[in-house]
Amino acid sequence: MRGEFNPWQMTLSQLDEVAKEINLDESIHQILRHPKRCLTVSIPIQMDNGKIKVFTGFRVQHNVTRGPAKGGIRYHPSVTLDETKALAMLMTWKCAVVKIPYGGAKGGIICDPRKLSLKEVERLTRRYISEIISFIGPEKDIPAPDVNTNPQVMAWIMDTYSMDVGYSVPGVVTGKPISIGGSLGRNAATARGVMFSLMNAAKKLKFDLFEKTIAIQGYGNVGGNLAHLLSHEGYKIIAISDVEGGIYNPKGLDPRKVSLALKGSGSVVGFKDADKITNQELLAVDCDVLIPAALENQISQDNADKIRAGFIVEAANGPTTPQADKILEGKGVFVIPDILANAGGVTVSYFEWVQGLQAYFWTEREVNLKLRDIMQKAFDKVYRISEERKITMRKAAYILAVERVAEATRVRGLYP
Amino acid sequence: MLKKIECFLQPSKLDEIKDELVKMGVEGMSVSEVKGFGTQRGYLEEEKINKKVKFLPKAKVEIVVDEEIVEEVIGAIRKLCAAETIGAGKIFVIPVEDAVRIRTAEVGKSAIY
Repeated sequence: MRGEFNPWQMTLSQLDEVAKEINLDESIHQILRHPKRCLTVSIPIQMDNGKIKVFTGFRVQHNVTRGPAKGGIRYHPSVTLDETKALAMLMTWKCAVVKIPYGGAKGGIICDPRKLSLKEVERLTRRYISEIISFIGPEKDIPAPDVNTNPQVMAWIMDTYSMDVGYSVPGVVTGKPISIGGSLGRNAATARGVMFSLMNAAKKLKFDLFEKTIAIQGYGNVGGNLAHLLSHEGYKIIAISDVEGGIYNPKGLDPRKVSLALKGSGSVVGFKDADKITNQELLAVDCDVLIPAALENQISQDNADKIRAGFIVEAANGPTTPQADKILEGKGVFVIPDILANAGGVTVSYFEWVQGLQAYFWTEREVNLKLRDIMQKAFDKVYRISEERKITMRKAAYILAVERVAEATRVRGLYP
Repeated sequence: MLKKIECFLQPSKLDEIKDELVKMGVEGMSVSEVKGFGTQRGYLEEEKINKKVKFLPKAKVEIVVDEEIVEEVIGAIRKLCAAETIGAGKIFVIPVEDAVRIRTAEVGKSAIY
């Protein structure tokens, strides 16, 4: 969430707007506007050169009314407390949209992992976890991967927590390697959920996906897996990009060949059988479906009017600024919002946690079918609200989420 | 999740059942003429039941629906088929793991609606 505006203020104003739309009880509105708990911790670690360096980390638990807090941990130089608060609140809504029994949390450490050795990242992770250890746990708050954190980092989190309590606790974190209780299907879960969202939209809006052209911005865990899944289904991808830039071929791109080129050259731009385009050009490419699967704030008021796609599926978190959203709405672009479209990741995280608690593991097919069922139900519900109230899918998703959390808050009442 | 409702009914009730289920939004149904017996052992109520089991003509109806309307469908079939006599039939509800529409490759709920 880079840019001149404050991500926390932006998230709050989204909540305020929804509260107004559904006449939300003022007391509940006040509760939801405040994160339950914000931790700021100092993380001193010994660097490889022997010197001590102190990093700053955060863990925010926005709401735990519907269940333990859940959310990723990101390692990035631009991490701030306000960004973490905003993302924690978004997690509350995301879990509520797909109706999994979690509240929202988010964590982060201000650091540039590219400048850290693997050993330094390990020490940083272990010390950060030990600083927040009394606030996390399978029944309290369950971290997961986010920007620049991966299954290995999750393994260190699981190990640090387990060493502290004296026995193995796989349920303290999700996105773990399979060998210590990770779920089959977790790795591609976000991408798979995005694909299901697109298929659900095609069904409801009665268009044939096989006749549509698709552009994907981002070729990481989400964008890359998504390209392969869509292509496997037989859908036509005409543009792909990563940090270095993009490639475009109106006749279609084969992600298997693009991945080979990526292996050789380090970027999708190394793929020869296509025209080179910039990331900005990718967003404006002549396609039917645009899938931002990279960073936040990619579609802004500066480029929203240039978008030619009729459908946008937000695989990334917050790829569209509120101003751009208004422009897209005016153009009649159908946007499947992030808290619905990319909820497949947290859904399979939930499956991983359930499997860990039961110590009984499912087949990949079981995981994928259960994910599809949850994504379908959530999509149908959001779509129905958007039809009934004649509002965008984003607003409808927020209404569904806020209503679910508000209802849980209402029935639980106020302690003491 | 999808469920298959497989029922064995009196053939005379088929048309009414078809019309009622279509009203509910059921979008497909398969019917076969079968022979079978149940608790009645193949005898009509007015007949004297002896040791030899007989077959009677029955209609087998198969439909796949979303689990949300299973109760409604069962209710409708029972309402139309309930007889005071034995031999009205049976309804079985079977979990369906997945469905695929062959033409479009749509899967799951999208394949049947």
